[in-house]
Amino acid sequence: MASALTVLRRLYLSIYNWLVFIGWFQVLFLALKALKESGHEHVYNAVEKPLLLAQSAAVMEILHGLIGLVRSPVSSTLPQIGSRLYLTWGILWSFPEIRTHILVTSLVISWAITEIIRYSFFGMKEAFGFAPSWHLWLSTFLVLYPTGISSEVGLIYFALPYIKASEKYCFRMPNKWNFSFDYFYAAILALGIYVPGSPHLYHYMLGQRKRALSKSKKE
Amino acid sequence: MKVTLVSRSGREFINGGLELPDSATVADLQEAIYKRTKKFYPSRQRLTLPVPPGSKERPVVLNYKKSLKDYSDEKQNKLTVVFKDLGPQVSYSTLFFFEYLGPLILYPIFYYFPVYKFFGYGEDRVIHPVQTYAVYYWCFHYLKRITETFFVHRFSHATSPFSNVFRNCAYYWLFGSYIAYYVNHPLYTPVGDLQMKIGFGFGLVCQLSNLYCHIILKNLRNPDGSGGYQIPHGFLFNIVTCANYTTEIYQWLGFNIATQTVAGYVFLVVATSIMTNWALAKHRRLKKLFDGNEGRPKYPRRWVILPPFL
Repeated sequence: MASALTVLRRLYLSIYNWLVFIGWFQVLFLALKALKESGHEHVYNAVEKPLLLAQSAAVMEILHGLIGLVRSPVSSTLPQIGSRLYLTWGILWSFPEIRTHILVTSLVISWAITEIIRYSFFGMKEAFGFAPSWHLWLSTFLVLYPTGISSEVGLIYFALPYIKASEKYCFRMPNKWNFSFDYFYAAILALGIYVPGSPHLYHYMLGQRKRALSKSKKE
Repeated sequence: MKVTLVSRSGREFINGGLELPDSATVADLQEAIYKRTKKFYPSRQRLTLPVPPGSKERPVVLNYKKSLKDYSDEKQNKLTVVFKDLGPQVSYSTLFFFEYLGPLILYPIFYYFPVYKFFGYGEDRVIHPVQTYAVYYWCFHYLKRITETFFVHRFSHATSPFSNVFRNCAYYWLFGSYIAYYVNHPLYTPVGDLQMKIGFGFGLVCQLSNLYCHIILKNLRNPDGSGGYQIPHGFLFNIVTCANYTTEIYQWLGFNIATQTVAGYVFLVVATSIMTNWALAKHRRLKKLFDGNEGRPKYPRRWVILPPFL
């Protein structure tokens, strides 16, 4: 069924997935290189540009879901991308003091490996119509989710003193709309959401994996 | 009469079934199930007639007042009933009482007690008149709600799943505290006098209209609870299906016009969207039921919930 629109869609998605794949590949490469040559304190500086680019590009995926270009429900992509953007821009980019922490290394490596697998898989599907062993790759999340999520939670926690001291992104009273926003308390709330959110997400992925494994057994 | 009880997967739920007198009602059946299983009290039971496999029809729910003969196979004098456990239940009155108690108690705490020193503010505080009127208005609202729960509302289902206690209380208690924090804040900025009077005046009129709407809804239902849907009529119901939600929404708008906080408006938006969902479902249900066929009246053209918008 090679209607012009289908071809265009596949072309666009192939290019999108492979481009972002290259971005994350760069992130992993530069991270490991910096780790070996200079130590964990320098990992962020080495990966900053491709990391900001590749992670921000993921916003496109919300758009793709909304206009129906891909089948993923917006309700599951939104929290995932939201937490990624929060860590990338709201913590790492906003508070330089946290960038030298060792958890940045574990975070960046966990994210990069996960995304390399994900984008190459979707890139192959769109470009070639098939991709090998999805259920095997799904199993990597069993390790990468705990390491990634622990790094995220840890970084937010260790950044708290810097957040409080800087007063960044805060909106104070008095004002005529009787509104205030405190980024420090918002960060604590974010940590709170991780408590029920992480097991929920992990459980969801376990279900996905079980389904994929049973499907491939039947084939 | 022999009643066979199966679960939704088809397995026999009570081995050997139950034997009941021919004149027994569904309520008697529920009692018998409870006595036998000891765990599933009647409000936890959902009893339906079996649906042929593959059928898309919604199963017929047994009415507790009807007699078993109304559902059974006449010639063979037996009946098969599908059982589903609805999980632990709580009565609506209990649920509503606790979810409304939170805002009733938490909001005045922010007004009367020096809580803001725990947020780092000093003890000095100027109390503006609008803040005082707001605490009276707010407490009147939730006292009204609690009173209506016990003396006005007639519930179509007696109970609600127990888990709703946590969800509903979180919603009311958290939003109540969130709004109370800002309206009673030491750095609160009041609006002009005229705006405040318009807000509270309008809000009060809506609250009283809302009470009247609830009384009308109560009288729509028969006192013995034999229920069934009626076309609502009288007062605002002549022009809008869910006039009770309408007045509730506009009542909160009045409160927000008078107190002007982002927190209050956020609550208004969330509450409005929840009520709009309910209103759309109710309006749809009534239109489907009152379609004008077979002697049934046709549901008149009306606003759903928020004239002039929806």
